[in-house]
Amino acid sequence: MMWQVQNLLANWTAPQLSTAKRRVDFCTHAEACANPYSIGSKSVAKQLRGERTFMSTAVEHLTELWETPKTLRGILGTVDHKELGHRYIVTALIFLLVGGLEALLIRLQLTHANNAILSPEQYDQVFTIHGMTMIYWYAGPILSGFAIYLIPLMIGARDLAFPRLNAFTYWTFLFSGILLYVGPFLGQAPHAGWFAYVPYTNIRYSPSHGMDFYNFSLILLNLSTVGASINFIVTVLRHRAPGMTISRMPLFVWSTTTISFVALFAMPALTAANFMLELDRRWSLRFFDVSLGGKTLLWQQVFWFFGHPWVYIIFLPATGMISMIIPVFSRRPIVGYPYVAASTVLTGLTGFGVWVHHMFTTGVSMLGMSFFSAASMTISLFTAIQVFAWLATIWKGRPVRTTSMYFAIGFIALIIIGGLDGIATGFVPLDWQLNDTYWVIGHIHYVLVGANVFPVFAALYYWLPKMTGRMMNETLGKTSFWVMIVGFNVAFLTMHVVGVEGMPRRLYTYPSELGWSELNLVITIGSFILAFGILLTIVNFFWSLRAGAVAGKNPWNADSLEWSTESPPPPYGSVHIPTVATRHPLWDEHEEEADPNNERVLDQGRFTLSTSWLDGVPFAIARMPDTSLTPLFTALGFSVICSAFVYQQMWIVLAGLIFTLGTLLWWMKPIPSGENA
Amino acid sequence: MSTVDLGAERYTGHGEPIVLELDNRRGSFGMALFITSEAMLFVILFGVYYYLGPGNQRWMLEEPPKLHYSIPMLAILWSSSGIFYWGEERLKKQDYRTARLALIATIVFGLGFLAVSYFEYSEELLHLTPRTDAYGSIFFAITSLHLLHLIIGLTMLTWLLFLAKRWEPARSIPHQPYHNVGMYWHFVDIMWGFIVAILYVYPNIVHVYPSVGH
Repeated sequence: MMWQVQNLLANWTAPQLSTAKRRVDFCTHAEACANPYSIGSKSVAKQLRGERTFMSTAVEHLTELWETPKTLRGILGTVDHKELGHRYIVTALIFLLVGGLEALLIRLQLTHANNAILSPEQYDQVFTIHGMTMIYWYAGPILSGFAIYLIPLMIGARDLAFPRLNAFTYWTFLFSGILLYVGPFLGQAPHAGWFAYVPYTNIRYSPSHGMDFYNFSLILLNLSTVGASINFIVTVLRHRAPGMTISRMPLFVWSTTTISFVALFAMPALTAANFMLELDRRWSLRFFDVSLGGKTLLWQQVFWFFGHPWVYIIFLPATGMISMIIPVFSRRPIVGYPYVAASTVLTGLTGFGVWVHHMFTTGVSMLGMSFFSAASMTISLFTAIQVFAWLATIWKGRPVRTTSMYFAIGFIALIIIGGLDGIATGFVPLDWQLNDTYWVIGHIHYVLVGANVFPVFAALYYWLPKMTGRMMNETLGKTSFWVMIVGFNVAFLTMHVVGVEGMPRRLYTYPSELGWSELNLVITIGSFILAFGILLTIVNFFWSLRAGAVAGKNPWNADSLEWSTESPPPPYGSVHIPTVATRHPLWDEHEEEADPNNERVLDQGRFTLSTSWLDGVPFAIARMPDTSLTPLFTALGFSVICSAFVYQQMWIVLAGLIFTLGTLLWWMKPIPSGENA
Repeated sequence: MSTVDLGAERYTGHGEPIVLELDNRRGSFGMALFITSEAMLFVILFGVYYYLGPGNQRWMLEEPPKLHYSIPMLAILWSSSGIFYWGEERLKKQDYRTARLALIATIVFGLGFLAVSYFEYSEELLHLTPRTDAYGSIFFAITSLHLLHLIIGLTMLTWLLFLAKRWEPARSIPHQPYHNVGMYWHFVDIMWGFIVAILYVYPNIVHVYPSVGH
């Protein structure tokens, strides 16, 4: 038996490097671009004609196997990564809009001196929940959404490794966001900023339930993040298409895998910090109680041990997207692929060694400050490697002016500014001056809006045609880009100035004689221009759904595997599990789906291939679970537990635990071996 | 070993039957990553323990925690791990009865640990509570977090026991429940070793030989 498998493997993975040539001409004919077989040899076409009967049977069978039923059970219990990816992206974008409206509210309050649109208490709650929404519920999940949708298609798998875990992480993400937003409606939102320093968050100074909502909505979200990370790592290291060695992985896959490992190690710190704070608040423990041996700085140490790696969790996948978009629109492979991949991993690693640079003003030892200052300098080297790789790719290529490319180049400009002013705050003496001023606010927005929102918009313009099957309007898109980048810089460059002039952060208003009024008015105008630019893209999206040109399989003539399927992709991905011979599957002459004996249709059940993590050699068939309601119920169970903890209703917690245990048992019910299909 | 016939000849009429095994190690991979994250939670709390410790006036005011319960608890857990591993080896040889007995023994040992920790806690609580000071908070946070993991582990083992009735017909369960639960159980057991070393043994060494701590 084994030798047959060996033979098969040899056929699947032999990289046809000798014949693989880069095909990087810009495709002008939509039809030619749309048909991946148009580049193949005539024999492939002939073979395809001969196989028409088989193909229709296989397609029918695969659709039957993989399609989610359009019933209520199907809607609530879907495990399809494409459907869940959609939901992740849409939910995260809704959080972006809600957080954006909160930002506008903040800016309205700060427009001129002695403004009183918001009371001080309301102002604290609004800026806190703005920060939390954007950082935790938008920036991370939107990238997870793209990864959930795209990674199985990019690596030629039929779904993520744990489809039900995928559904579970979506539901916990959604419910944790809802739990966060219960607070404001009760007038008890968190009010201590997104990093919630003690002692202000102790029960003595924050007696309302706001900080309890903070703790437990984050604990619930951590569950989701860790689950998604495990899912990404196993998917990428176990289910890549045959022949996709680790050195042929798309760079977005590299970055998502890196941040998944980072999240695995960083999220427990946040969970621990949340639990310690909660135990101090409601159960009178002494972690932060200085009079009984606790340390207030403990919170900052543990929180930032999570906090700074989190910055890379929401930054690195965005760079991965850019590393895939820029080469496609420069019509050439990326310059220095190994260096970009390595610097991605190194950024993730070094990200664990810089957290104290948030704490230079707290009286850390001189040696500690020097170390963490040096580490912060080091990390910028790795980002610089990536930036120069992108610039060189554009320089050596033949850039195409698309909206997506505009956003990508805009991102490079913004990350250079944001990176450099970040290094400025990495210098200890300068940080002492700038800490807790609007300079820091300007910096965080350059790296979070510049290095997350702009790449995400580039990705939306680039990948939405794959997801919806419709092209977005380029003119409107470019207008949106210019409005956004102008509004962005007007708002956030000015924040740097007002910061240097001494305006502290978290100030609900200021007297007129300080001379900050004009600059603040400029910032407010800038923020509204930015919001208008975002609105244009939303309009563009809905316009494209109705009136956009049909995208076809590969509208950009891109190189990665997700473009070889239909747009939008069928539920099973591709009929034949593809094989990969080079780093640019759609730019070489190797036919990914060529499979004369139909060995890789895998329509005997919900199957995908398991391949070795380094070389992508298939060794097993993975059976995928079908539609299931257990993830939803388990997520509900955990949400009940966390909500009950907010009010210390321990009997409800206990009931929730028993319920969750029951759903987990249902989830883990083994499938009898006979039921393969 | 369960296999899937790819059945290429169904369509082509001339292909040779192609057989690949079912992937039954995917869950183990996921479990390993989950354990990594869980272990990190303990590492963070050990970090908190050391961060709160140095130069602290209120740190183990009276005496370091006693060893006479924690060391036997370690023996209980590690021997349960050994028994469980032996059971897994028997399972590979399809000796289901012995594997089942090993599983029951593991659960009994785990319950034994719970019982001993009841005595351990009631002794500790006489002079130290989680609310006494920061040391009490972190001491009980780490040990009770471990206890929580132990209870989760015991729940999984019990689930396995009920699953065992289905072993014979369902031995091709792809995710190797026995192995995966075992991974978690070994993790809980190994972690107690770290806790004993850091929270129990080291403070006692420092207590007897103060120069070690400097």
